[in-house]
Amino acid sequence: MTQATLLSDDLLRRLISVGQVDVLVGVPTLNNADTIAGALQAVDEALTQHFARARTVVIAADGGSRDGTVEIVGTTAPEGGDRYRGLRTRHRFVAAYRGVPGRAAAIRLIFTAADLLQARAVAVVDPEAGALTPAAIGGLLRPVGADSFDLAAPVRARHPLERLLVTQLIRPLVRAAYGRQLDEPLLTEFACSGRFAAHCLAEDAWDRSPMREGIELWLAVTALSGRFRACQTVVEAAPPGPSARPRLGLQDVFAPLVGSLFAALEAHAGAWQRDVPSEPVPVIGGDHPPPHEGTAGAPSGLGGTFAQDVRDLRPVLESILAPDTFTALAAVAEAAGSEAPRYTDEVWVSTVYDFAAAYHAGVIDRAHIVKALMPLYVGRVASFVTRHAAAAPGEAAQNLETLAQQFERSKPYLIERWNRTP
Amino acid sequence: MTQLIADAVGQAWANFLESVALYLPRILATLSIVIVGWVIAALLCVFTRWTLRWLRFDALSERIGLAAALRSADLSPASVLAGSVVFWLVFLGFLLSGIDVLGLTALQGLVAGFGQFVPRLLVALAILAVGFVVANFAWRATLLAAVNARMSSPRLLSSAVRSLILVLAVAMALEQIAVAQTVVLTAFAIAFGAVMIGLAIAFGIGGGGLARRFLERQFPERPESNPDRVSHL
Repeated sequence: MTQATLLSDDLLRRLISVGQVDVLVGVPTLNNADTIAGALQAVDEALTQHFARARTVVIAADGGSRDGTVEIVGTTAPEGGDRYRGLRTRHRFVAAYRGVPGRAAAIRLIFTAADLLQARAVAVVDPEAGALTPAAIGGLLRPVGADSFDLAAPVRARHPLERLLVTQLIRPLVRAAYGRQLDEPLLTEFACSGRFAAHCLAEDAWDRSPMREGIELWLAVTALSGRFRACQTVVEAAPPGPSARPRLGLQDVFAPLVGSLFAALEAHAGAWQRDVPSEPVPVIGGDHPPPHEGTAGAPSGLGGTFAQDVRDLRPVLESILAPDTFTALAAVAEAAGSEAPRYTDEVWVSTVYDFAAAYHAGVIDRAHIVKALMPLYVGRVASFVTRHAAAAPGEAAQNLETLAQQFERSKPYLIERWNRTP
Repeated sequence: MTQLIADAVGQAWANFLESVALYLPRILATLSIVIVGWVIAALLCVFTRWTLRWLRFDALSERIGLAAALRSADLSPASVLAGSVVFWLVFLGFLLSGIDVLGLTALQGLVAGFGQFVPRLLVALAILAVGFVVANFAWRATLLAAVNARMSSPRLLSSAVRSLILVLAVAMALEQIAVAQTVVLTAFAIAFGAVMIGLAIAFGIGGGGLARRFLERQFPERPESNPDRVSHL
């Protein structure tokens, strides 16, 4: 889809009337009436505080809200309060995008508008409650606007037993493959340069599944794989508020994200097949936050079906895993019985790498490969959570670092498996 | 009397030699057709195997599960098997053409019949191949969906789906080649009905307890395990 077909005539006229801008903030919306006003207020406050002299525009990229979100964006004008007024006119409007509602279509529209308006810095802000504060939005935009970074990702204090899909799979695999230690590879909120936005627009991931479904992850690894300067900024999450968004289950998020990551590895194969140690992505605005305090506790019965799952999936797993890995996995499953398994880092890393190589080779349908990994991931999560439920967050965080190092140490195995397959 | 016997024997030999003179060229022609056919079939077999290997057909068959099924049936890899099928189809064609040259009344029409049968056989093989691929895909998709949805007995469910599709494909293939249609249909109906009635009696009336224990052992209930009770994102 070209820019001309992405933007309606009305939107095109509106963007032309805005003219060139310095900063563009995009807010992907879809039925966010409960929270959009607060998010827009935070954006306005951030722009006033940090970019008072800049030409700015705020665009709500809407996927067809029917709950009054569009009206709220239109009526809550940025000039509504003096403290949000900058020195230059700030534009704000709703831009409805075409096609299937989703983050990819919304971000694509935001990037297209940014490209057209020649924005130097672009921020994407989640309208949900618990998202960024004004200081955090400013903190994300500053390194891009002032320090010529191409991507600024947020980094927050988290408990090590939170976001297990990120900590057990996505983050360490991204770190090992791309050689960069990015804390939040899922870019729910981020800021980027106009150059990076234009580069991404030229890619074909927007229309390709599964990259489209995991676009936040794809944007992050694109920045890490290309010649772009990335940084992280320390942000504090706003206090949680009401949310209209239904909580997604593991089945809803696992396949799109992991499929997107494997597809990105495939697309960037030429960029990551070097066995070099990873480098930290610089943290702006303070030190890397320590892990969140408090114990999370282990839900009872988690991972109790692991042994049965491995038995049921045996013919599928045998076609994906290397024989040694399958033998080790079967031993883990047999030892577990109906309890949570003791799924070691070594076996887990071999499992993930075998799955990535099998995805590359297409040994069976690729969607099936990704789905077959989910029960194993649940077993790994059960193993990790059970082991660290009563542990201090520092100890669990240290073990996450050990896992990430194991991913890096085993990278030659991934490269070897990847290139062995036809 | 002696002269009569000598004449009869001489006539018989003359008839025999006449028959030999009549059939020998035909037999030689048949032999030459069979030999040339064998050579052409062997060349086509090698060419088919080479082409399929070049097209990575074995990797594809591995991907769709055909290779595993062939291994479990103790058969050759898919490319070798396809080459063999080509060999035998071509060789049988030449063989029947050769036999037709003999002009034997009892064997006349075989070539025409074979010519009509081959397209139907190829269509039947294609139906079987597509049915197998679809059945395997559906089996894997069902198995993965059932495991990830924490359903009980995912193997039973997925195997049932695969069996259903395979049975359908086999029935369609047999119908295509029209091999003993009535017998196949009747046998299928009788066998299927007998199995169902047998299972109903055995598991429903005769051995409820035994059936329950058997099913519990084969398809154990999944313990409660909700992965959404931890934070994934």
